[in-house]
Amino acid sequence: MSFFRLALRNLWHRPLRTALTVVGVGLAVAVAVSLIGFNLGYRESINVSIDKLGFQVMLMAKGCPYEAATMMLKGGTGLLYLPGTTFSAVKADPELAAITPIFVGVAQKEGSGIREDSGSSFAIVSGIDRSSFLAMKPWMTFSDRPGYQGGRWFADESSDEVVMGFEAAEYEQRKVGDRLYLSITPQGQTEPVSHEFKVVGILERTGTQDDGTVFMSLPLARRIFNRPDELTIVGVKLREFSGVALREFEKRWAALPEVQVVSLQQVKTTLVSLVETAQAMIGAVAAVAIIVAIIGVINTILMSVGERTGEIGIMKAIGAARGDIFQLIWLETLLICVSGGVLGCAGAVLGSRGVEEALRRLIDVGTRGSIVSITVEVLAGALVGAAVVGVFAGLYPAWRASSLRPVEAIREGE
Amino acid sequence: MNTPINQVCSTSQDPHLIEANNLKRWYTRGSETVKALDGVSLIVPPGQLISILGPSGSGKTTLINLLSCLDAPDDGELKFAGRDVRGMGEEALTEIRRGRLGFVFQKFHLLPSLSVRENVELPLLFLGRAPDQNFTDEVLGLVDLRDRAEHLPRELSGGQMQRVAIARALITRPPLLIADEPTGNLDRVNGEAVFNLFRRLVREQGKTVIITTHNLALGYLADRVITLEDGRILREETGRH
Repeated sequence: MSFFRLALRNLWHRPLRTALTVVGVGLAVAVAVSLIGFNLGYRESINVSIDKLGFQVMLMAKGCPYEAATMMLKGGTGLLYLPGTTFSAVKADPELAAITPIFVGVAQKEGSGIREDSGSSFAIVSGIDRSSFLAMKPWMTFSDRPGYQGGRWFADESSDEVVMGFEAAEYEQRKVGDRLYLSITPQGQTEPVSHEFKVVGILERTGTQDDGTVFMSLPLARRIFNRPDELTIVGVKLREFSGVALREFEKRWAALPEVQVVSLQQVKTTLVSLVETAQAMIGAVAAVAIIVAIIGVINTILMSVGERTGEIGIMKAIGAARGDIFQLIWLETLLICVSGGVLGCAGAVLGSRGVEEALRRLIDVGTRGSIVSITVEVLAGALVGAAVVGVFAGLYPAWRASSLRPVEAIREGE
Repeated sequence: MNTPINQVCSTSQDPHLIEANNLKRWYTRGSETVKALDGVSLIVPPGQLISILGPSGSGKTTLINLLSCLDAPDDGELKFAGRDVRGMGEEALTEIRRGRLGFVFQKFHLLPSLSVRENVELPLLFLGRAPDQNFTDEVLGLVDLRDRAEHLPRELSGGQMQRVAIARALITRPPLLIADEPTGNLDRVNGEAVFNLFRRLVREQGKTVIITTHNLALGYLADRVITLEDGRILREETGRH
């Protein structure tokens, strides 16, 4: 028999109460772990998504930069367009390392999809200049999974070839060589026009907005959307990317009446700060849950001490010193908290996918990648945190139990 | 180490296990002070079975709490194993009684979550000693419960539970056993069995046993009978064994 085993036996002797307290701690830990996992995962996801845009600066039509940024990161509607001359003008900037024009449009998939629920969905269509676009995103490769082999880029002059992002192809259940039907409402018209395309390649998954995009040549996209000389974004890489260089670049080009220059660093900050508001609210909920759990643990142990007053008196009478009783009660508290910590960590890991879905429904996270990242460090931290809570939560009940005088405790227990 | 119980449980080398002189203990109940013990003097030599008799409220339990160092007197002198315990705090009193004293309660007070064996070995945990399986078996054999070692207290009868409590009191090999109304919750047959066990411990192992009881017939089977009334010793007699 050891104090550890004795503490376990005591907890086991009141299984329902112990289980409920452990679950209470577990819930608080699960909320905290999920929140921290979301915080880490979201920042990482934003970083990956933005870094994989390939460019450092975007030129876009004046409007809400956040909306523009999220549109680039996960797709969206309400697009604004720049005149094509912007690209020609900016291309001459001496500080440029690379530049690419991008046209983004939204097509309806009405009647085109195999899936029943595809009738009401949209497809993001990107018209790109293949060579400059790929120079910015050299990691884009074709998938060679079954049915996806033999992929290639569309011919620049082609009028019906498209390349699909991995998720777009998976969602539409398209393979290389299949046909893709999109309904597009051209500029100036009210009725959509159906187009038939040939899928010539399906890209490997990148974890970014590109996975859900249908790529075609820039001239083709402009033509079918009836915006022959317009662009959505001009992506730019500077020779030297620094705050000073960016400000200088912004100064040179923000003067254009319809253009805004958005640094992707700013976009990161904007997105993170927007979500931080939601995080603060969830954090407050987690803090309340933790406080309630601590109070629950203290209450449970105090109740247990109250019920076992006589037992504690007996233990003292048969030789237990104050330190022995303190150690026993403190161990019981610690065991409850650590068990709750383990349960909470397991719950958070198993439920992380659900948490991610819930968060995506709750807030516009602005990225496609996984936004909950529960690492070993987070789990270890949560367990240590639960143990620390146990250490402190156990102090008062343990002190109270150890302070009982044996004669009075035995009398009270009878 | 597997030492027979009748060799290790030898009597103390001290001439007297307990020396109490003019012990007083009072409690405050509202504005009233109640004298639970009012000048009790007593010497407990090794190897005796002593009964403390008296009606409820006569001070039996108060006296036994003082003699077992569970409580400290308000006045008077009390020496336990030669050490003066006056003014000692709870921790010091715990140190005094640890390993030197086995306690048996009227209501057995076994830990319900522990088996018979674990209950018996519990005092060793507080002494920091590893249990000696053979010795535990020997003690359980002495109280005739070896076959119940792995049972839980709720699976035992009252008499069996009291015998477990006696085994628990013996596990640290103390020279002195103090039992507060040990037969109070038992029927006549079990009460006599427990009392006879105490007598065996005194006769065969030289232990000292002090018990309080309401049962005069059993109480007078002791070596020495002390009758209390209103916190004082009314009379002290030799038993009729």
